[in-house]
Amino acid sequence: MSQQPDITLYTTQTPNGIKVSITLEELSIPYKVQKLDISKNTQKEPWFLEINPNGRIPAITDTFTDGKTIRLFESGSIMQYLVATYDKDHKISFEPGTREFYEMNNWLFFQNAGVGPMQGQANHFTRYAPEHIEYGVNRYQNETRRLYGVIDKHLKDSKSEYLVGNKCTIADIAHWGWVASAGWAGVDIDEFPELKAWEDRMAARPGVEKGRHVPDPHKIKELLKDKAKMEQQAAEARKWVQAGMKDDAKKSQK
Amino acid sequence: MTKPIKVHLCPAGPNPWKVVLLLEELGVPYEINSFPFQEVKSKPYTDINPNGRVPAIEDRNTGITLWETGAIILYLIEQYDITHKLSYPDIKQRHLTNQYLFFQVSGQGPYFGQAGWFNVLHSEKVQSAIDRYNSELKRVLGVLDTVLEGKEWLVGDKITYADLSFATWNDRIDSLILCAPEDKFKGFLNVQAWHERMISRPSWATCMDKRAQLMDEQGLLPNGMPKGVSNMEEYEAKMKADAEASK
Repeated sequence: MSQQPDITLYTTQTPNGIKVSITLEELSIPYKVQKLDISKNTQKEPWFLEINPNGRIPAITDTFTDGKTIRLFESGSIMQYLVATYDKDHKISFEPGTREFYEMNNWLFFQNAGVGPMQGQANHFTRYAPEHIEYGVNRYQNETRRLYGVIDKHLKDSKSEYLVGNKCTIADIAHWGWVASAGWAGVDIDEFPELKAWEDRMAARPGVEKGRHVPDPHKIKELLKDKAKMEQQAAEARKWVQAGMKDDAKKSQK
Repeated sequence: MTKPIKVHLCPAGPNPWKVVLLLEELGVPYEINSFPFQEVKSKPYTDINPNGRVPAIEDRNTGITLWETGAIILYLIEQYDITHKLSYPDIKQRHLTNQYLFFQVSGQGPYFGQAGWFNVLHSEKVQSAIDRYNSELKRVLGVLDTVLEGKEWLVGDKITYADLSFATWNDRIDSLILCAPEDKFKGFLNVQAWHERMISRPSWATCMDKRAQLMDEQGLLPNGMPKGVSNMEEYEAKMKADAEASK
């Protein structure tokens, strides 16, 4: 049974959020956007916790084939759902059961379990931490570099334009927003020529260009050229990141 | 007949045992290649896993090699869980199960790992980092506790691969944040009951016996480090000295 999309995307302008909007744009699926204001902790409000008990973006709702609502969180799981349900022609995925399908999942998990969390920690210690901890900055910047090195070598050795099978898939889309903001984590993309070329190749895709500006314009590249503005933005973010951390710590002591 | 699946692992860490536990539950034949941690980041292992991490599997039945636990688990379920012992045939249930598998690999594993690093493995005590990761560990347990309210399993009414994926990290919380074993799930009673349901299964005992045996073969303590070594700096110095001596 084919399914008519009825998707609402709950998101904000972050590397994880644009994974889903880019996937939707690449597949030309109509969707509604509901923007969450992380600086006001909207993602911790009861109505949203009903959708995602983990209180994180992105999340989606859709009407499933049984006529009922399906609520999904975890960007990787959402992307797998979208291609399984709406990418019957395998535009940005591979046919289930094929070698390429499993390899695509392998790199998708590499992003979700490796690049995302580690680069996220580099962001924390580089931009948001309440005190400067040189060890933390180095640990996570180095781990992000190591992971970038794994992709860079893979692209070089496989002589492929994309991560798997010479086709842009959800594994590539999952990485793009993070690689595009490498500088925010203090990592210099110029150290990884193959990865940099891949980043540009991805950016040239109309689906990536359209999806990256959801729900707000994607301005990381401009921001990374402006040191003063970067520091100003980090200072603003630091306030609500630390407030959120305190809130979580308080709750966890209950 | 199914040829055994080769599982490459170093026995200390929790991630390889996620995969072995699933193989035990599914009753799929497998053989373990246990090797020392010193060899994880160099050839020939990096030809199998370019990321230099364990586990990795090679399945001679299909000729595939995979090295992210999440991808390995999904692969094993699709190929070998034909009777849906640990999964649902229903597509909606399956997507919900995958959602929790992703939560494990991106939310539980990496953050629990950092908690262990700053509490135990790193020689210098960085209090704000310890607080950060201990608090995140508790937050993740809180999310699971909410989801498990009034339920025995994460999705539907039976155990799935998503439930099992959380067991190996949860089981060692006491050694990650250095609390008493009985305080591991303090304040998270749903999580505790759920965890006990899983570790009372025969598959768990089999995995832990195998782990103990493989650790012993390598002269490792339960915390994964050789006898006489108390933190990661000392361990790295020892590995370097051993490598020099064998030249």
